[in-house]
Amino acid sequence: MTIVQPIQIQVAQKVFEAWDKIGVHGRADKLLQSLNAFQSDEKKMAVWQIENAKASIAEKRVMPGPTGERNELSTQGRGPFLCISALEGRHAKIGLVGQVFAALIAGNPVITVGPIGQEIMDMISPFVPEGVVQNIAESAQDSLVDADHLAGVATLCDAAQAQQLSQRLAAKSGLICQLIEETDAEKLSVIAKPHYILRFVTERTVSNNTTAIGGNATLLELGSKSD
Amino acid sequence: MFKAIEVLQPNFIQRPLNELWQLISPLYKMDEEKWLKELLPLAKPSDAELIEHTEAASKLITAVRKDDDSMSMIDALLLEYSLDTKEGILLMCLAEALMRVPDKETADAFIKDRLSVADWASHAKNSDSFFVNASTWGLLLTGKIVTMDEKKDGTPANLVNRMVNRVSEPVIRKAMNQAMKIMGHQFVLGRSIKEALSRGKDYREKGYTYSFDMLGEAALTAQDADKYLRSYEQAVESVGNDSFKKGHRPTISIKLSALHPRYEVGCEERVMTELFASVKGLIAKARALNVGITIDAEEADRLELSLHLFEKLYHDDVTRGWGSFGLVVQAYSKRALPVLVWLTALAKEQGDRIPVRLVKGAYWDSEIKLCQQRGVEGYPVYTRKESTDVSYLACAHFLLSEHARANIFPQFASHNAHTIATINCIATKLGATTQEFEFQRLHGMGDALYNCLIKNSDICVRIYAPVGSHKDLLPYLVRRLLENGANSSFVHRLIDASYPVSELVDHPVTTLEKRKSLANPHINLPSGLFEDRKNSFGPNIEIESDWTPFKAQIDTFMGQDVQWRAFPIVGGEKVATGHTYSINSPYDHSQTAGQIDWADAGTVTKAIDLAEAAFPAWSARPASERADCLDKMADLMEENYPELMALCHREAGKTIQDSIDEVREAVDFCRYYAQQARSHFANPTHYKDFLGQDKQAKLNGRGVFTCISPWNFPLAIFTGQVVAALVVGNTVVAKPAEQTSLIAFRAVEMLHQAGVPADVLHLLPGDGATVGAPLTSDKRIAGLAFTGSTGTAQLINRTLGARDVAPVPIIAETGGQNAMLVDSTSLPEQVVRDAVRSAFASAGQRCSALRVLFVQEDIADRVIPMIKGAMAEQSVGLPYLHSTDVGPVIDKKAQKMLLDHIEHMKVEGKLIGQTALPDFAENGTFVAPTAFEIASIDQLTDEKFGPIMHVVRYKARDLDKIIDTINNSGFGLTLGVHSRNETTCARIASRARVGNLYINRDQVGAVVGVQPFGGQGLSGTGPKAGGPHYLQRFAIEQDL
Repeated sequence: MTIVQPIQIQVAQKVFEAWDKIGVHGRADKLLQSLNAFQSDEKKMAVWQIENAKASIAEKRVMPGPTGERNELSTQGRGPFLCISALEGRHAKIGLVGQVFAALIAGNPVITVGPIGQEIMDMISPFVPEGVVQNIAESAQDSLVDADHLAGVATLCDAAQAQQLSQRLAAKSGLICQLIEETDAEKLSVIAKPHYILRFVTERTVSNNTTAIGGNATLLELGSKSD
Repeated sequence: MFKAIEVLQPNFIQRPLNELWQLISPLYKMDEEKWLKELLPLAKPSDAELIEHTEAASKLITAVRKDDDSMSMIDALLLEYSLDTKEGILLMCLAEALMRVPDKETADAFIKDRLSVADWASHAKNSDSFFVNASTWGLLLTGKIVTMDEKKDGTPANLVNRMVNRVSEPVIRKAMNQAMKIMGHQFVLGRSIKEALSRGKDYREKGYTYSFDMLGEAALTAQDADKYLRSYEQAVESVGNDSFKKGHRPTISIKLSALHPRYEVGCEERVMTELFASVKGLIAKARALNVGITIDAEEADRLELSLHLFEKLYHDDVTRGWGSFGLVVQAYSKRALPVLVWLTALAKEQGDRIPVRLVKGAYWDSEIKLCQQRGVEGYPVYTRKESTDVSYLACAHFLLSEHARANIFPQFASHNAHTIATINCIATKLGATTQEFEFQRLHGMGDALYNCLIKNSDICVRIYAPVGSHKDLLPYLVRRLLENGANSSFVHRLIDASYPVSELVDHPVTTLEKRKSLANPHINLPSGLFEDRKNSFGPNIEIESDWTPFKAQIDTFMGQDVQWRAFPIVGGEKVATGHTYSINSPYDHSQTAGQIDWADAGTVTKAIDLAEAAFPAWSARPASERADCLDKMADLMEENYPELMALCHREAGKTIQDSIDEVREAVDFCRYYAQQARSHFANPTHYKDFLGQDKQAKLNGRGVFTCISPWNFPLAIFTGQVVAALVVGNTVVAKPAEQTSLIAFRAVEMLHQAGVPADVLHLLPGDGATVGAPLTSDKRIAGLAFTGSTGTAQLINRTLGARDVAPVPIIAETGGQNAMLVDSTSLPEQVVRDAVRSAFASAGQRCSALRVLFVQEDIADRVIPMIKGAMAEQSVGLPYLHSTDVGPVIDKKAQKMLLDHIEHMKVEGKLIGQTALPDFAENGTFVAPTAFEIASIDQLTDEKFGPIMHVVRYKARDLDKIIDTINNSGFGLTLGVHSRNETTCARIASRARVGNLYINRDQVGAVVGVQPFGGQGLSGTGPKAGGPHYLQRFAIEQDL
């Protein structure tokens, strides 16, 4: 049987590289433009996720080590993310906005679901490249959850739903699809935390030994530096 | 430590040779302060001498500066493009690589990459030298033309520029190649020895003579070594037949690393037979033609080996009675003085004079870096320039003393006017005549200095002159630039007229004594490499004094009489289950390392019960207390280093260096996570939430963590996972790999000894069905760390998910299909060395190991045969022997899978080469390192975890397609890149979806806290082990 990849995954994969490449600041510039359309607390949540990302993952981190080589740690998006909410309530939409902005600012293309998803997508999509945010009908959600190459699902749901979703994602072949669940729709105790953003990224270390070929000037400088 | 000053006593060299030999090695990593205090009196002048030396140096410098031709073209180039300018470094990079790039496209891209980012204009007309200005204007012009292409707005003016650019590319390339050739011409005396002899005549008329050096890389293959031997033979013949009669006869300098593919301590037997035979042949030829031979000095690791070989050659009949077989000693080496003493005694004993060239040393930077990487306990070289100068004068003092110069012919190689003037003064004082020593300088450097000297003296000055094709210039050029390009170097200051003479003539002893400390405070010892934690240490197995006593301790654990007996450890108790298994050594299945009882279902349940109960108290302990246990664990592992290494050999089949690296990584994990926990887990984080309210969050443990680890890093990964989970506040149930549970058992014993409570950590050895299954299906498991295959990770994820509880974190580190991309700007020798190490070290049983090497087709015909040749030099054998490069694979199952793949590939691909297996291979599970050429990475479906390399040729223009195919494999662990083009490196880095990218180096051996390790996609979930985000995933973030 040939498995047909949902078109949204294909679209998301196509735009992923370019979206990821522009970096946290590049994405923040675009996403900030979309904020006017959001209501007060949703907007605060979106800004908070952007600022949190700027503070924690925007810059490459230079690691210590032997003189003459350069080791940098940076983050990248993971790939297409599905952001959904099975809960309702005052904070549920704020939470969903938080998920979407965390996923986007981390470098992932996002697929939202249903009318609320459509609303969020409509507010963001004019400001980001086509395909970075997509929305699907609720009826299509299952096929997205089951699709290959879905990097993760961020969801607001109750514990039972989270468990069910977890089982379903685990049953898939291919990469281990991340489940980032929030079951506390009132306090949003997972989404609104400083380390939440780390769930949406993958890390990369680049070790560059170019300056050390045949010797390195840095060390010679250190050797002759005055005390 | 011996009293350095005693070497001036004539009877010192009458001690037995062996006794003097014993003085050498212990100085390898000797405390710099202590040793310099010993050495200083040998170099320190009296007040009267200080005045005399200073005056002599001032006089010489003033005379040199008066000379209109004082600056040679190279001096001028170095002055303008010193290495503290961006342009200097770019120029160096271009010179290093351009001429070896065979294809136009890559060459053009490389020129553009190098030239368009620097400010060449700022160097125009700064120099008085025509050569420098011509080069600068050339670079400026081409730089400008190349840069213009960057403007792509399509205005008419830019359109013209772009046309100019298009038209000009071949012109630029030609011009740049020409410029590089001119540079080559300056640094290289001739492309052949004949040309060199002919070009050298002018200088010989002036009274100079030569020592010719044949340029070339260290040989990686027997063919290359043979090629270099032929070229040395021809050089000897040409010099021998040279009819120029005036002055001293030229000599030949030989680099031993060019004459043998494995000139290293581990291959001592081959060095002392094969390399011995090659050099002996050369000596015979040279002696017959009366051409002196000098053995060049190389890396510090090879010093003791080089002396052994020298001694054997010197004692041989071919050399006995000759007196023209010499060698080079590096003054930056702490061992220099005892080496000279030993050589003097050697010469005295046999009665043949030994010519000894005393140099300062050209590998200083790599010596320092290597020690930092290996965690050696000290440096073999001095960390200040003036200390090297002091050592040089101390050695000179000894060499010029009567009892030394009677046996040694000192050859002082220096471009430092102060050194030269001082040596002359010392010689006069000690009564040495100008016939009893000589000076040496490099071709193209120090002309004016020595012109002044020979004007007033009949001393012999020998020019060390590189001979060879311009494209072999690179390592030589780079080294010379590094040595002399820095502002602080004497050459640089001598020709800089603005630098006062008075400051150039400071005596190094005076300079050094003025320092607050004799050792350089800017260069920390390897143990102090990291500000916030201690670096792990490793013995240097190439150094007799470091390795021999260490090895003796390991040997006490290597006999069959030593057997480990391991059990599950639950609640601190060893649980005898009766399910007892023997663990055989992978290199010889008739040998056992010990026995282990596997856990049964009851043991597993009991362990989880205890761990669950222990969680509240353990997680409530301050993070700093938990961190203390990790630090203690690190120290305990270092205390038990020999035993752990023996276990690595006997249980996992690991080679010596791999075993050292294994222990070091485990130690580093402990210290790094301890430091991370203290920084991030001890106190809550203050932050403003999205509504602007002040909040505090704290990272806490989650509960009982399962840790499932692999056999390929049986101590490091096992310990890394366990201590990460523990330090966060979790309790742990750990299942080590079935094949390597003995070392895990010892690790858990040590963790308990380090203060981890008995009910907090439990060891559950056993198989997947009995132990793995309950550890993943029990509802109380609050998180899991796993390293192993992608398939097993998926299975574990499903089992965890099937439980009737909330989802928990799974941190999985899985497989890869790791590639290395090599373009035509790269250096083939470096590529082959790094590729062979990346693919075959540890028998390819590393997650990071190279599986698919992509070589640009334009250089494939050079690189692929070199891989074959280098593979032929690899030694497969017993892992506890220094001579072994590749040990066994872990077990029969792994061996069969790999052998099946090799058979399959023999049909699907083209065999490049296969390393020979030893006779005793049948006793264990060995797989010969094998390389195949294949058409595409798509021919490989899954990872083959062993010593098998696949090679794919690609077209330069298809680079993006190649990156796509690598990305499409779904794996994303490591990727190596070899290219001198930074734009290409950056492009690959931005496109490749991998966790660890290595540029211009090998792709294995990630260091904790330096190169956080882990993949993406099918290769792992992240976060990276040994990185700043790892611990957070083991924790839950809670508001206070």
